[in-house]
Amino acid sequence: MAAKAAPPQVRSLTCPNCGGAIELRGMAHTLNAVCVQCLSIIDTKSETLQIVQKFKAKERIQPLIPLGTRGKLHGDPYEVIGFQVRTITVDGTDYSWHEYLLFNPYKGFRYLSFYSGHWNDIKPLKGLPVITESGGRKAVNWLNTTYKHFQNATARTTYVMGEFPYQVRVGDEAAVDDYIAPPYMLSSETIPGEVTWSLGEYKTGADIWKAFNLPGSPPPAVGAYANEPSPHTGSAAKWFSIAVALWTLTFVLLVATALFSSNEKIFSTLYTYSENTPGEHSFVTPIFEVKGRPSNVEIELGTNLHQNWAYFNMALINEQTGQAWDFGREVSYYSGSDWSEGSASDTVRVPSVPAGRYYLRIEPEMDDHPTDFYTTGPRNVTYSVTIRRDVPTYWPFVIAFLLIPVPAIIAVIRSWAFEHVRWQESDYATTSGDSGDDDE
Amino acid sequence: MLKSNCPQCGAPVEFKFSQAVQTTCPYCRSIIVRHDVNLEKVAEMSDIPQDASPIQLTTEGIYNNKAFYVAGRIVYEWHGGGWNEWHLAFQDGTSGWLSDAQAEYAVSFPVKNPVALPPAHNIVRGQNVRIQNIDMTVTTVTKARYAGTEGELPFEYWDKTELTFVDLRSPSSHFATIDYSEDPPLLFHGEMVDFDSLKLRNLRQFEGW
Amino acid sequence: MTKQLLYIIYGLALATGAGVYNYRGMSMASMNELRNVPKSIRDNPGAYRSHYGYRPRYFGGK
Repeated sequence: MAAKAAPPQVRSLTCPNCGGAIELRGMAHTLNAVCVQCLSIIDTKSETLQIVQKFKAKERIQPLIPLGTRGKLHGDPYEVIGFQVRTITVDGTDYSWHEYLLFNPYKGFRYLSFYSGHWNDIKPLKGLPVITESGGRKAVNWLNTTYKHFQNATARTTYVMGEFPYQVRVGDEAAVDDYIAPPYMLSSETIPGEVTWSLGEYKTGADIWKAFNLPGSPPPAVGAYANEPSPHTGSAAKWFSIAVALWTLTFVLLVATALFSSNEKIFSTLYTYSENTPGEHSFVTPIFEVKGRPSNVEIELGTNLHQNWAYFNMALINEQTGQAWDFGREVSYYSGSDWSEGSASDTVRVPSVPAGRYYLRIEPEMDDHPTDFYTTGPRNVTYSVTIRRDVPTYWPFVIAFLLIPVPAIIAVIRSWAFEHVRWQESDYATTSGDSGDDDE
Repeated sequence: MLKSNCPQCGAPVEFKFSQAVQTTCPYCRSIIVRHDVNLEKVAEMSDIPQDASPIQLTTEGIYNNKAFYVAGRIVYEWHGGGWNEWHLAFQDGTSGWLSDAQAEYAVSFPVKNPVALPPAHNIVRGQNVRIQNIDMTVTTVTKARYAGTEGELPFEYWDKTELTFVDLRSPSSHFATIDYSEDPPLLFHGEMVDFDSLKLRNLRQFEGW
Repeated sequence: MTKQLLYIIYGLALATGAGVYNYRGMSMASMNELRNVPKSIRDNPGAYRSHYGYRPRYFGGK
């Protein structure tokens, strides 16, 4: 039986090139370490600490999470031990992102990627996704989820810091394919001899700042990221099925209203009025009965006015309680060879009239010496007064039908707009010029 | 359990695992092979490179509801790093292997009399191979070198030179590896596992963790 | 409160609003509600002064 291994110490190395101190936190996993003072990559497993690459950088890049910082992800502590900047070139423009290598001696390695304020928590995949297709485009399937192809690009390493359990060189290139199923992203990296698959989960800057207890605020997220979850919840199907259910309810209430409104005629009489007849023109109708639950009372005036107008002061009065509704209606009707204005009839509904015995007080008026050009009709009018109760009013249902789909339409448009912004960053952008090279 | 003495230095030596064929003498670094009750020294143990695995000999765990302890290991190195193959001795007397590379773990078991495998020069990344009725794809072809052995192994294995290993994976997290150091090549089949699922105890202690 | 739940409440308000509008016989017409109109108005309609105070408009002209 072998003796128990002694706990390893965190090592410190002296850079063979510039003498600077290099701290190692990855224990015996570390294969390559970078001297940040002179930008040399060292083979830490060689006896002589052989320098395998010296690279140049226009400026020193500071990682947002300093090397050596520990944070908690998925309940386990991880330490940042390595940092890389990787770059792709699309349509002549360079886009770079950061990758942080995290280490836990028991749980192993994971990565954090950072781009324009968007973060991803990445772990190598245990199996191989199945190549499939979705909507005519490349896709992969992993654990019953389909991930749609988002981008293919050649990523090259442009800056390294810290340590790695594998070989790294500035200038290393890998063919990267990203497939999304927000908030997840599957990525494959292909180098000669190896394909590696990893699964990333979108994280916000706030998540990362909290996990690593970092000071200040994280950089704000710009635009929409490949696997960023949409802030708009609910699929179009869900919104529209709610709209349809609401329409159905509205229709049912409309039909119920049409069927159960009494629309009962309770009075109908013809009267005449002449402006030139002297004396009091106001009068009261016989008493009529309004039955049933409090509902509307509709008063319809049907006149013989033409090129004329008349004004009817009216009051619906409860003979027993003295409650009254007082209102005035103007009726006017004019026409020419190819036009007409107004109507010879008028309808008004008095709201919520309780059952009881009622009469109408009517006081008609007409202009005794009209001075306008158009009023040429006689100074009298014959009119019918028809009274109904519990008459259905349909326009509120029309408003409901028109307004009901509006939030669903707005929600779906906003959701599509977000997805459009998301996919603008992909190889499948629809604006002029493609934003990706297809290596195949 | 066989208790005996090291043929090189005489120190007490045990074969704890009933199926163990080879072990190492903890005192004089000899590799000892067992022929029934006789022991033969076959080689010297080379310096095992320092490694960072949380697993060590005597670590215990559970796989597929069967308990095991780590009886030995073989260490490999390649251009891209190194890895351990830990020999798992199960309670029922069978052996398995825990592959431990950069803290990614896979448990696999030797396949007896595998169907004819493609030869080393004729196998490439991306190739599909059917292993025990599972469709698998070659993910890596690695040229490695043997870097040492420690503890008990269920077969004889030492001082191998350039070796080729081919790893295969499937959509269902199946894992297979073909070891071309022997002829005919050895096939191991199993699956990728989460560290937590093995419920490992008696792990190595890391200062500060 | 998810957005869909708010939407359902909004839609229910519109639909039942239309239903209640009809059930209670509501109306948009401008009215003046009065109490205690004396019974004597039946015999003397001219004595009733409309509280409505709406002057008829003239079509065209001054």
